[in-house]
Amino acid sequence: MTRRTSTAGRIGIAAAVAALLVFTLFPVYWMISSAFDPDADHRGSEVLPAGFTLDHFRQVLNEGEFTRYLANSALVGLGTVLLSGLLALFAAVAVARFRFRMRTKVLVMILVVQMVPLEALVIPLFLQMRDLELLNSLIGLTIVYLAFSLPFAVWTLRGFVAAVPSEVEEAAYLDGCGWWRMFRSVLLPLVAPGLVATSIFAFITAWNEFIFAFVFMQDDSKYTAAVGLHRFFGQYSTDWGAVMAGSTLITLPVLIFFVLVQRRLAGGLASGAIR
Amino acid sequence: MAADRPVKARPPRGGRAPRSARRAATGRALRPWLLLAPALTVLAVLLFWPLARVVLLSFQDYGLRQINTGESNYTGLDNYRDILGDSFLWKTVLPNTVFFAGACVGLTLVVGTLVALLLQRLGRVWRVICSTVIMMAWAMPAVTGTYVWIWIFDPLDGVVSGGLDGLGLIEPRETNWFTDRWSFYAIATLNVVHHGFPFVAITLYAALLTIPRELPEAAVCDGAGPWQRFWLITVPTIRPAFAVVTILSIIWDFKVFAQIYLMPGGAGANEDVLNLGVWSYIQSFSRNEYGTGSAIAVLLTLLLLAITVVYVRALSREKDEP
Repeated sequence: MTRRTSTAGRIGIAAAVAALLVFTLFPVYWMISSAFDPDADHRGSEVLPAGFTLDHFRQVLNEGEFTRYLANSALVGLGTVLLSGLLALFAAVAVARFRFRMRTKVLVMILVVQMVPLEALVIPLFLQMRDLELLNSLIGLTIVYLAFSLPFAVWTLRGFVAAVPSEVEEAAYLDGCGWWRMFRSVLLPLVAPGLVATSIFAFITAWNEFIFAFVFMQDDSKYTAAVGLHRFFGQYSTDWGAVMAGSTLITLPVLIFFVLVQRRLAGGLASGAIR
Repeated sequence: MAADRPVKARPPRGGRAPRSARRAATGRALRPWLLLAPALTVLAVLLFWPLARVVLLSFQDYGLRQINTGESNYTGLDNYRDILGDSFLWKTVLPNTVFFAGACVGLTLVVGTLVALLLQRLGRVWRVICSTVIMMAWAMPAVTGTYVWIWIFDPLDGVVSGGLDGLGLIEPRETNWFTDRWSFYAIATLNVVHHGFPFVAITLYAALLTIPRELPEAAVCDGAGPWQRFWLITVPTIRPAFAVVTILSIIWDFKVFAQIYLMPGGAGANEDVLNLGVWSYIQSFSRNEYGTGSAIAVLLTLLLLAITVVYVRALSREKDEP
């Protein structure tokens, strides 16, 4: 894409890249460096941390039961990924591969459902989970997150399934496969990249979600990490080193995930959004 | 898109006998519904029923007593009359919600589009570096991102007040940006834009990649300047994707909750900074007025419903495509 660019143009691009890097990275840098800074609470505008310590992490993990919160988050996230991947794949195959009455209606419904402001459903879902006695349980939270990630997952996977040429499927039929065998040995491997993209999205939805976890989990042994971090937030003074250490612990898995799979993720999201 | 040819119903294999053919046909007609059933059940129970229920609750005076007994207590439109007749809604909550969302959407789209165009112009190495860094901004969860921005703007020891103090621009410990409505929302906007622009940038960049290489070259041969190339080739190509990210940003930014609630004073201590989402939460879970909270939630939903109509229209061109 690079054509003959003038010197002024090149300087402009360099400046834009620098601005982008600073704006994007500064909060990440400030979080991580404060987490390791022994004097984080009085850091002010010191660009470099005053030293290096693991005390904040030790404090968060030992005193705050933060390990348990992280484990809770991971459990809920994994449950959401498995369930939503399975259900979404079935639904995506149905809308991408079959022609049936009301197909368009189902598609539009899946699209519109993504627009429902989930925050508006806190009250009824709280009452519903209360009636089912699932309020303080990780299963209850998993089920709710499943509903949140499902429409997007169906919509994205639909694009991936539709992109598999139907000739490939027909070849499998000609070779004597039944529908189920074709699904398992032909379609599933081919849509695996899409499945990766939607799984990551579902995991991150669950890992990052705040309001439902905040409302549903009243027993502090059931807190997720995002809610547990709230406890380090004092009303009058805040132990910033500890909060930043906790924030780093929550952010790091997501960060590594995103950077590792960025191509696939971007492709998946783009094909879901544009197709 | 070429692969998306409509899939015809497959001719039944070995379907010479009419009865087995009929059974196979019924099976085929049923199969999509069997595949859809689990997903649709989940959506019905966890999205549609709660949606209906929040509307029902909004017509009730639903407090602690009703929570415990489970009985209903319909009061007609009272909740709506209270809310809509409250100048608090018109002077504080609605402007907060709408202007904040407007600023966030506008800035997110501008930054996202510029970054996408920038990515297009970069060489391979810098493009990988920049997109990796963008991913890092995206990856930062809303909750931790909010804490980091609070820390950055902390009035006592934050980097911004420390820096401005060092330059002698502010009196230390006397400037608290979280108490003033405008600066509170400026920080929240920074937070939301930082978190939201990567999605826009990556999606639009993906759309830019669909421009065939020959097209700009042909345009150059035909004597089109850079400006013409931008308006006649780039803009039309990314327009559908742009419509999608616009509407999605609007929807995400109208219902922002954690980024406001977790800020100092955002949880109800400072009434000036409430938006619709937080107000609904506080009415229900802090004041136990679940009916009023539901009515506010319904208002928020209706606001977004209007926008959803636009979204579906924008996509209806692609609707026929499977």
